[in-house]
Amino acid sequence: MKRYTLITIIGLSLLTLAFGISTVLAAPTVAPVEKASTLHPNFILLDADGVNVLESGKAVSTMQTCGQCHDTEFIATHAFHSDLGLSDYNNSSNGSWNASTGSFGEWDPLTYRFLSQDGDERLDLSTAEWLMLYGDRVVGGGPATTSRDGEALTDLPTSKSNPETAILNEGGTASVWNWDKSGTMEMNCFLCHLENPNTEARSEAIHAGEFGNANTATLLSLNIVSDGGEGWVWNAEAFNEAGELKSEVIGIQDPTNANCATCHGEVHPETEEALTLNACDLNYPQTATTGQVVSGQRINESGVNLSGKNDVARSWDIHAERQLQCTDCHYALNNPAHASELQSNNPEHLVYDPRSLEISEYLERPDHNVARGESAQFNVAPEYKGTMRRCENCHDYSKGHADWLPYIETHMDAVACETCHIPQMYAPAIQTYDWTVITLDGKALETCRGVEGNPNEVTSLVTGYEPVLLNRTNIDGDTLLAPYNLITSFYWVYDDANGNKRPVRLVDLEAAYLENGDYAADILQVFDANGDGMLGSDELRINSPAKEEIVKEKLGALGLNNPRIEGMVQPYSINHSVTRGENALNECKSCHNADSRVAQSIKLADSVPSGITPDFDINNNVNGSGDFVTDENGALYYQPTPVDDDMYVFGSSRVSWIDWLGALMFAGTLFGVAGHGTMRYFSSRKQAKGHARTERIYMYDAYRRFWHWLQTTSIVILLFTGLIIHRPDIFGAFSFRGVVTVHNVVAVVLVINALLSIFYHIATARMQEYIPRPYGFFDDAIVQAKYYMTGIFKGEGHPFEKRPDNRMNPIQKATYFGILNVLLPLQMLTGALMWGVQKFPQVANLFGGLTFLAPFHSLIAWTFATFIVGHVYMTTTGATPLEAMRGMVTGYEEVEIHAKDEG
Amino acid sequence: MKKRFPSWTLGLLGILLLILVPVLYFLPRAQSKNDPAAYLPEKLVHVDHKDIVQGEFKTGQDVTRACLECHEDAAAAVMKTTHWTWESKAFDVPWRDEDVTIGKANQINNFCIGSQGNENKCMACHAGYGWEEGRETQQANPENVDCLACHADTGAYGKGLFGNPAEGVDLLAAAQSVRAPTRENCGKCHFDGGGGNGVKHGDLDESLYFPDENLDVHMGGELDMQCTDCHWTEDHQILGRMVADNYTIDPKEQVSCEQCHVNQQHEDERINTHLSSVACQTCHVPALALEDPTKVTWDWSQAGQEGREDDHFTYLKIKGEFVYDKNFAPTYLWFNGNNEYRYILGDPLGKDGITYINKPAGSIEDATAKIFPFKLHIANQPYDVKNNYLLQPVTAGKDGFWTTFDWNSAFELAAPITGLAYSGEYDFTETYMYWATTHMVQPADKALQCDSCHSANSRMDWAALGYPGDPIEWGGR
Repeated sequence: MKRYTLITIIGLSLLTLAFGISTVLAAPTVAPVEKASTLHPNFILLDADGVNVLESGKAVSTMQTCGQCHDTEFIATHAFHSDLGLSDYNNSSNGSWNASTGSFGEWDPLTYRFLSQDGDERLDLSTAEWLMLYGDRVVGGGPATTSRDGEALTDLPTSKSNPETAILNEGGTASVWNWDKSGTMEMNCFLCHLENPNTEARSEAIHAGEFGNANTATLLSLNIVSDGGEGWVWNAEAFNEAGELKSEVIGIQDPTNANCATCHGEVHPETEEALTLNACDLNYPQTATTGQVVSGQRINESGVNLSGKNDVARSWDIHAERQLQCTDCHYALNNPAHASELQSNNPEHLVYDPRSLEISEYLERPDHNVARGESAQFNVAPEYKGTMRRCENCHDYSKGHADWLPYIETHMDAVACETCHIPQMYAPAIQTYDWTVITLDGKALETCRGVEGNPNEVTSLVTGYEPVLLNRTNIDGDTLLAPYNLITSFYWVYDDANGNKRPVRLVDLEAAYLENGDYAADILQVFDANGDGMLGSDELRINSPAKEEIVKEKLGALGLNNPRIEGMVQPYSINHSVTRGENALNECKSCHNADSRVAQSIKLADSVPSGITPDFDINNNVNGSGDFVTDENGALYYQPTPVDDDMYVFGSSRVSWIDWLGALMFAGTLFGVAGHGTMRYFSSRKQAKGHARTERIYMYDAYRRFWHWLQTTSIVILLFTGLIIHRPDIFGAFSFRGVVTVHNVVAVVLVINALLSIFYHIATARMQEYIPRPYGFFDDAIVQAKYYMTGIFKGEGHPFEKRPDNRMNPIQKATYFGILNVLLPLQMLTGALMWGVQKFPQVANLFGGLTFLAPFHSLIAWTFATFIVGHVYMTTTGATPLEAMRGMVTGYEEVEIHAKDEG
Repeated sequence: MKKRFPSWTLGLLGILLLILVPVLYFLPRAQSKNDPAAYLPEKLVHVDHKDIVQGEFKTGQDVTRACLECHEDAAAAVMKTTHWTWESKAFDVPWRDEDVTIGKANQINNFCIGSQGNENKCMACHAGYGWEEGRETQQANPENVDCLACHADTGAYGKGLFGNPAEGVDLLAAAQSVRAPTRENCGKCHFDGGGGNGVKHGDLDESLYFPDENLDVHMGGELDMQCTDCHWTEDHQILGRMVADNYTIDPKEQVSCEQCHVNQQHEDERINTHLSSVACQTCHVPALALEDPTKVTWDWSQAGQEGREDDHFTYLKIKGEFVYDKNFAPTYLWFNGNNEYRYILGDPLGKDGITYINKPAGSIEDATAKIFPFKLHIANQPYDVKNNYLLQPVTAGKDGFWTTFDWNSAFELAAPITGLAYSGEYDFTETYMYWATTHMVQPADKALQCDSCHSANSRMDWAALGYPGDPIEWGGR
């Protein structure tokens, strides 16, 4: 503890001193310029042999230099950024083209080039070329220093048939790569821990294959070292008398957003300067694949030519606006500052375990496996999935949504935070990469979504896009809807000599299509529809059997076995570019409507080569149901079908046959009573009036009438509000939320009314009125039915007398019994269960969940509507058409008098 | 007898109540919007004075007499205001034995320095006539109240020497044009104070005559607000006090955002946590002098150079060298609405080489203080080397500095007027004057964002404000 205290005291006093000095020096109007922490001591730069570079004049070795204090071996072996899949690289990968879970070994159809496995028929990417191509975004160490079997690359026996020691020449032949000459690339501490690493110079060294110089090149233009042509020239002024590099010239710091941006995508810490985008550029992969931009700048203040930009005053990312750094969520896994988050394995009773690393221990051995989520780069470092702070670790959704969002739990159980809080991407993202054809500069046919025109031209209008919502299963097993971009790629594959499927090499594709820098004559002949000698965007695509055939032939002629086209749809998770509540999806109707966000489709490709159906990449945690749909122009879409995943969204989901059946029932009854009524009207004109003697009887007591009309009113309101909830697209004028509230409240009124009436009926023994007499029931019912079919038209009296103690005829009894004792309770039960989904979803799930309950509830609602039509009509069959209705209002009804011995 | 209402209507009522009451109780209510516009003062209906005002007017006083015929108490009311007295109430300040008053009438600033002895020019902005008679006589006469300065159409009226109407003004036309004061009336003096457009304030200049929404959300917005919409006026007492010309200010006499923005909170709770330490203006007045530049430094010591070319924005022979700036971030200080110090004629110079004309009061320990934006005006102005106090020259007039370019005579001339002896030896010293900025208000989407203050390129000097570091990490007060 003493050491810790000492360091803290020194640190604080240094800070106080710094503040003191800056206070004294600062003029009142000038804000101080914050420098990188000056706490890092001066240090000697060592070369690979452990000699001060000032003496040796050699390239700097980060492992040696930083290893003087930090345990660089520990760091290098605890860093998936360095490993990139090497440690689980599987040479005998059972023919799969993915030999690992990292970018070293997993094939990416966007970057296309294939890292050849040992024993492959053809050499595509050797380790060296892989590093040259992608080294900009390789931090070093791992595959940049070590072979797939764990040896140093420089120790490998050289052979041009080994993809680790070979290089593909332009002609398509292989030759040996000399690792001793090129050097290897140690994990580059400078890249992430320097204020201003020279990434350009570093890239140049890497692209030139001078891997051993890459880390030193990162220090160029900092006045520490310069390139002397023959070797490195170290600038003595940057070092003190002890031969140590002065820490202020190098600016060692915690990784900033800008450091992370070097490899991951668009980050823009300078809000004073208008942000411009590198869109759909795989050097900015996270932005290219999803449109995510991490910047606190307001979108309308950025330099992006965005449609409707002036109205978008939100920032690109609320967390960046709030000054969060990448490392605040993606922290080093043993950083004691995050101790409380790392204690998930504590025994239940222990809320916080004060034992953690001392700051000095951490600084010696900082775990460079950073906390990660579980969606983006799904396959990488699976053992660290979900180690990151997630939304709910910082935000308590029950508080943030408490004052406005109904059914909070229901929503949170179905929808990920990102779905509403990343409603729209304001940057373009890749839509399709079509590698079945090739452009003259050796690229795929690339299509971007969210932009009109080429993505990076100033004249192109950026429109952004709405992510598609797909079911994502989190590490804890919860499945939630979350936003994604879907990228579809099409490419040729072949079966190599070992029977393994491999993507056709770029050199082979170029050989098939191109000749002397232009398209080959036989390709032009088939592809060039208008004969202008060039291939326009309509022509350069495989949309006819002839085109497919010629390419297949030419690939076959190159010795490729069974060349064929395949396609893959890959989901790219969207988790950044978050916005706060006021700009999130916060209208019920965004989802609870006919054009619900939940079922919104997304375009996959403008055209599909050879009409093939791509495979949905299953190598991830996305598992929603959906269909591939082709429109009339041949464009391919992905249409999520959440109903198939047991997701019933009110206002959006419905079962059409239920609605048809219900509507048919309703219309049939309406039609029937209309016909019956018309016939009654005409027949009554032929008959003498007042044929039956009537008398005024007190038929309904006050409570009975009250109970009836309260029930009537609530059922009518429930039917109407239910209809609006069912079809909000037709009733746009109503607030969805308000209508749901009315529906729920009135339902409760209905239930209470029903319970009280049951009590009344039981207490007054009137229940039996509803119970049809079993004996002779059918005879009586037939008599009654016959009356309605014939007698009523002849002016006959009702077959059964209506008396206060026996008011109902047999058919009525059966109907009411069914309605009040079967349908009404069922409707209450299903309704209650649907409401209860927010509190006790498991109970609703016992009964089939919303996907069953909701359509069932709708069906019963239709029967109620139908019943009301019939019921109201039947009331007109009394002594006079309005008599029965009057009876139910006033209690007194004129009823026919039957002879005492009748009935 | 038939009952008036059949008994079943009672049942119907019961049913309706049973449904409506619970529904209304549970129905989600829209948050009642607190509309700030509802708090704007009601405007009087304009009475066209064209047919009311008659008669021949030879002098301004003639006009005032005519006004007073109907508006009998108006002059008496005006004469109680600082627009008339140019002098604050008396303050008991700790560095002086006797109470002091502060105002243009008797104190100095670091622009044109002081009005005493310069009445012929300075009083073009006084709401009164007749300064040629001397202060006492002028102040005693209600007929000297200049109604037209604030009430006439500014196109029909202008002021000239000693506060009198400019030559050639058609006083009848001016008098017939009277109405409630507009931005033009106030702007004549308050936009052009210090000797030209935008010189003084930084948040008030002629761009506000025809502002658009991006310049000021109140004056340029839909409501086209006039000065008096915030500077509520009763009996000619106008709400609002100039910080620099007071010592302490009763909050009741000051304009505040909360006059209209009553109980208004930001939707973003994170912003609301700032409200106890950050003034509205700090975020909503993110930059000063948005369109027209304002003077930020004024070096009197360079005045009077022969042969140097005049340029309005950099050098004038009569005034010296200046720097104007435009669209720049204000200076931020803790501010509780008062001054910690206001230079009173005769006060010694500051000890550290800077003399503060005024110094806003407040610190991180002061719970009533908030971080507030200021325009800092730095001048190099004359002082008496032997007596160690700032000097006020007579500049205007035929014997003033602007004619003679002789500092010594300018100071000697002023000595009997200001009552401060001149030793005969002068030099120039740096002075700071802070102007609280509260106009050119920006709407939420143009206001400061988190990173404006909480980032590596923060505009706040946290250490100078008394924080150990950025409060986003080190915690607020």
